[in-house]
Amino acid sequence: MNYQFLLETFFVALSGVPIALLVTIVALLVALPLGFLLALTRINKIPVIHHFAKIYVSFVRGTPIIIQIFIIYSSLPLLLKIIFEKYNIAYDIYKINPIWYAFIVFAFSTTAILIEVFRSALGTIEKGQLEAAHAVGLTTFQAYRRIIIPQALVVAMPNICTATVNLIKATSLGYAMSLPEITLKAKVAANVGYNYVEAYIDIFIVYLILCSTVEYIFKRYEKHLSKFKVANA
Amino acid sequence: MDKYFDASYIWNAIPVLLPFLKVTFLVAGSSIVLGTLFGLLLAVAKLSSLKILQRLANLYTTIMRCTPSIVLLFLVYYGVPALAENFGLNLHSIETAFFVVVTFTLQFAAIMSEVIRSAYLAVNKGQFEAAVSVGLTPFQAYRRIIFPQALVIALPNFGNGMIALLQEGALAYTIGLIDIVGKANLIIASNINAHALEIFIALAIVYWVLSIIIEKFFTMLEKFFSKGKRTLETT
Repeated sequence: MNYQFLLETFFVALSGVPIALLVTIVALLVALPLGFLLALTRINKIPVIHHFAKIYVSFVRGTPIIIQIFIIYSSLPLLLKIIFEKYNIAYDIYKINPIWYAFIVFAFSTTAILIEVFRSALGTIEKGQLEAAHAVGLTTFQAYRRIIIPQALVVAMPNICTATVNLIKATSLGYAMSLPEITLKAKVAANVGYNYVEAYIDIFIVYLILCSTVEYIFKRYEKHLSKFKVANA
Repeated sequence: MDKYFDASYIWNAIPVLLPFLKVTFLVAGSSIVLGTLFGLLLAVAKLSSLKILQRLANLYTTIMRCTPSIVLLFLVYYGVPALAENFGLNLHSIETAFFVVVTFTLQFAAIMSEVIRSAYLAVNKGQFEAAVSVGLTPFQAYRRIIFPQALVIALPNFGNGMIALLQEGALAYTIGLIDIVGKANLIIASNINAHALEIFIALAIVYWVLSIIIEKFFTMLEKFFSKGKRTLETT
């Protein structure tokens, strides 16, 4: 065991955290509203879109994320190339920062997970809540904003936490898109002297710290939210 | 787009890939069996009255939940032989499948311990007391009363865990296991990286169909086992 390498590489791995977090946050910012809207289309059975959402969710849940990465990472450049050639845009598609692909892949998969999370959370709210809100003169939008969403959010929070942690873990697959995040950075450092055991111990510790911090923050927020919780639930 | 994309590659790849599902199933199957046993032990530790055992089991679950599969996979792949060397064992020539099974057993055990624990807690305590009061031994009470009820509660989560395991198992190719994903990468390499997209789509189709089958199977099982449940709930 090379302890000096272990210590040095820990900071190399740590330097990948901002990228992992950036990808996570962007993916969540896209996925939260999109997932909520698509969950609404599923609940209200909006034609076409709700079937599309169902197939979409089934696909994402039914295929490994690494294969989703493979598919998107090998199809998007092809599509872009065709579009660029058609409109004579002189831009080398191979110069696109891989982080854009990472945004797309992880937003794509997280949206599907969140559709299911929101759908089940909204399912726990009684229909009477919306009717009561209508009866006292609130518009549907107001009813959702003031009555439905705060209650649904309490139910959805633990699942959103799990989805976030899974998302952070999934960014470790960014190596397939040569995204310089935690895993790839430490692995490259290890390639020089074959210190793989040490490098993976570092990566392991970094993820452990990162994920338990995120879990802790969510726990705190859940406690804060639980004041909206109905007494008997 | 025909220059880049040729759908016939998808249909040609699937029959080549399917035989390699055997490896995928073998690895996933052994991880499920071993992981469930280990998970049962962890669940017993979590439910025991010993504080140290509880803490240890909870710590283990947290650590496993926070570690990406690919990191655990490599940690086991590089770490276990290095650790074994200290004891004078040479594990370098051992099959990669062994390391894959170890990794996913460790991971599945963490999932299963939570599934088993929550299912056990969901069964009303009075059930056990009632069973003992009519003269069953504690072992009989567990076997005849608690276990059948906990099983129904655990089934959906067990199914989800299995699907998750199958999908995480797709990463085994990274340490050189020739399962279905590994074979797909070999096909792509032999095509000199052309038509990779079609092969990946074929892979996605295989996994998608498998997941749907597992899901349907577990819904069926759940229906079958919850036959007796209604009478219990009315009491």
